[in-house]
Amino acid sequence: MASIEFRSVTKRFGDTLAVDDMSFRIEDGEFFCFFGPPLAGKSTILRMILGLERPDSGEILFDGRPVTEVGPAARNVAMVFQNLALFPHLSAEGNIRFPLLERKVEAGSIARRVAEVAEKLHIGHILHKLPAHLSGGERQRVAIARALVRDPVAYLMDDPISALDARLREEMRVELKRIQSELGRTLVYVTHDQEEAMSIADRMAILEAGAIRQIGSPTDAYDRPASDYVARLLGAPPMNLLQGSAVDGEFRLADGAIALPLSGVPEGTVTVGIRPENLSLAPPASGAGATVFEVEPLGGFTVVTLSAGEDRVRALLRGQPKVETDSRVALAVNPAAVHFFAADGRALSAASV
Amino acid sequence: MTSIRLDHLTKKFGSFAALKTMDMEIRDGEFMALLGPSGCGKSTTMNIIAGMEGPSTGRVLFGDRDMSGVPMPKRGVGFVFQNYAIFTHMNVRQNLAYGLKVRGTPQPEINRRVTTIAEFLQLTQFLDQPSAKLSVNILQRLAIGRSAIVEPAIFLLDEPLSNVDAAFRAVMRTELKHLQRQFKQTMVYVTHDQLEAMTMADRIAVMDHGVLQQVGTPLEVYNNPANVFVARFIGSPGMNLVPATLVERDGQLRADLGAAGISAPLAPELAAAARTAGAGEVWYGFRPEELSVASGDAGLAAGVTFVERIGSRTVVHFDIAGEPAKGVFENDVALQEGSAARLAPGPDAVRLFDRQSGNAIGGSTHGLH
Repeated sequence: MASIEFRSVTKRFGDTLAVDDMSFRIEDGEFFCFFGPPLAGKSTILRMILGLERPDSGEILFDGRPVTEVGPAARNVAMVFQNLALFPHLSAEGNIRFPLLERKVEAGSIARRVAEVAEKLHIGHILHKLPAHLSGGERQRVAIARALVRDPVAYLMDDPISALDARLREEMRVELKRIQSELGRTLVYVTHDQEEAMSIADRMAILEAGAIRQIGSPTDAYDRPASDYVARLLGAPPMNLLQGSAVDGEFRLADGAIALPLSGVPEGTVTVGIRPENLSLAPPASGAGATVFEVEPLGGFTVVTLSAGEDRVRALLRGQPKVETDSRVALAVNPAAVHFFAADGRALSAASV
Repeated sequence: MTSIRLDHLTKKFGSFAALKTMDMEIRDGEFMALLGPSGCGKSTTMNIIAGMEGPSTGRVLFGDRDMSGVPMPKRGVGFVFQNYAIFTHMNVRQNLAYGLKVRGTPQPEINRRVTTIAEFLQLTQFLDQPSAKLSVNILQRLAIGRSAIVEPAIFLLDEPLSNVDAAFRAVMRTELKHLQRQFKQTMVYVTHDQLEAMTMADRIAVMDHGVLQQVGTPLEVYNNPANVFVARFIGSPGMNLVPATLVERDGQLRADLGAAGISAPLAPELAAAARTAGAGEVWYGFRPEELSVASGDAGLAAGVTFVERIGSRTVVHFDIAGEPAKGVFENDVALQEGSAARLAPGPDAVRLFDRQSGNAIGGSTHGLH
């Protein structure tokens, strides 16, 4: 198994800068996610790890050894294609065996390798079944077994479960995480789904326009976003980002529509970031407050969207509180959970929080 | 303004019954979500309402008017598909104006409505841009705008948000709901995403295998699901269901969960309903959000199999007597993977379902929280 490192890697396609002077190190055995919107560079990074694209400049290293000039086959990195890519006419065993047949491995050793891998993934009892007769989780294990049988140095997955419906995705990601931690192998995973990335990654890189904006554990990125960009991408509903400034010990929105009792607001015009779960509603004091725009019940939680001037502010409340649309409410903030961002989006540390 | 009545609708494709006897009333001005997994019959239902397909049997009525034989263009419905059809050779303004133009609406009125809808959907800055170059998010808003601008009495949307990113989806949900509340159209919204249905709809029609499972407000279907399908499908995560046997202990009805132990006494109303129904073998159900960690020997024995922190909350996966279950907790929850825990579902949070039929036992009157 291997660590994977990029050193100042740049990749252009014509005029498009797909990956911009990027450096990172994925540790051996880590579940590492690349997360970002379309065209952020996620798939180009994967293709460079696989050896399908060559960087224009910079170096790629596996376990400290340069592999930039090494071809895809010799890198021995496995792309795991998901359930849809299993051959429907082959049994689970036939599917797992396929990469070895392709590589002309001799028969005795094929049988041994398939048995080993099947045991590791607890699928010995379903080897005879066709993919159509397997559950989603079983198909996933077979797909991984097919990659594992080659004994690769790392696994790559490109948005593997995005085609599944929400409920199945919730189950599959946990299954994936479990398999990866059982196997203890490096897994590089690309997703555009923040919830998925946060749920399964040991560490994640948040990408924008070919650059890493933040790298760290999901908890770190969620609790301490380095910029308003990262803050906005993680969390559902997303973080409230409101422009304004400190006036008489209160934070006032730019258009004066709401005032929040916050201490430690940095000087000048800043953006204040408050996660919806750190806002609560209170009866309005005279004159102050915001108007309830919409109320969205989730069952265990309720999202209340407030309209305050041009801004919309979302609060995520526990349970099923009775809140009327078009009523007036005041906002209370958990002051320990407020973020400040400069005009260029960089996170500022609060003056005295 | 129009109500929609689905009267004994069925639809067969060859020998496959896509829809088995659908009876439902969608009220005038109501936002109704048709919710279910793929193949449940929700899109078939919508296509029949739109007039794209005819039912095998039964009728669709708009108000008192039988729509049998009325072709789609004459039904006065606005339709937004998941693959939005935008004229790429036109700019945003022309796309928005198109539906009004073909109806011969006077130009000043067209201008007024384009301005209003563009503002509403935050399209104003794009009005003069060619639509070929717009992002998916903007195209989606344009598709909604183009249908909404003709102010149809009935607005049908088929998974309109499935191709857009999560943050935008959250914003659009709120805006769509607000749009509907303003214009008071009868809105039928097809989705497989329970979150979309819960957050936007006045009522939800939950479907599975061509059969309507339950119709109710979001909180009705969440708090009192009619059967185990609805219980599992609604909620994120869905309701926990553990097989149990009802037993009398000290004059009180409890659920015996085998190796996990015996539950606290059932709430009096639920116990009465279970006794009346003569229930024995049941699914013992409780919401992941309604679970607390008990101390000592109280509560049910469980093993922690996985801990998932997802931003604002932590989802803990349990093994309860061999059955998987989940709990949603604050991020400071002190449960470690591989450890044992005692769990106590909130006393009013327990729901029971008949193990044979899967139908709810009692439960129509009590709510959570």
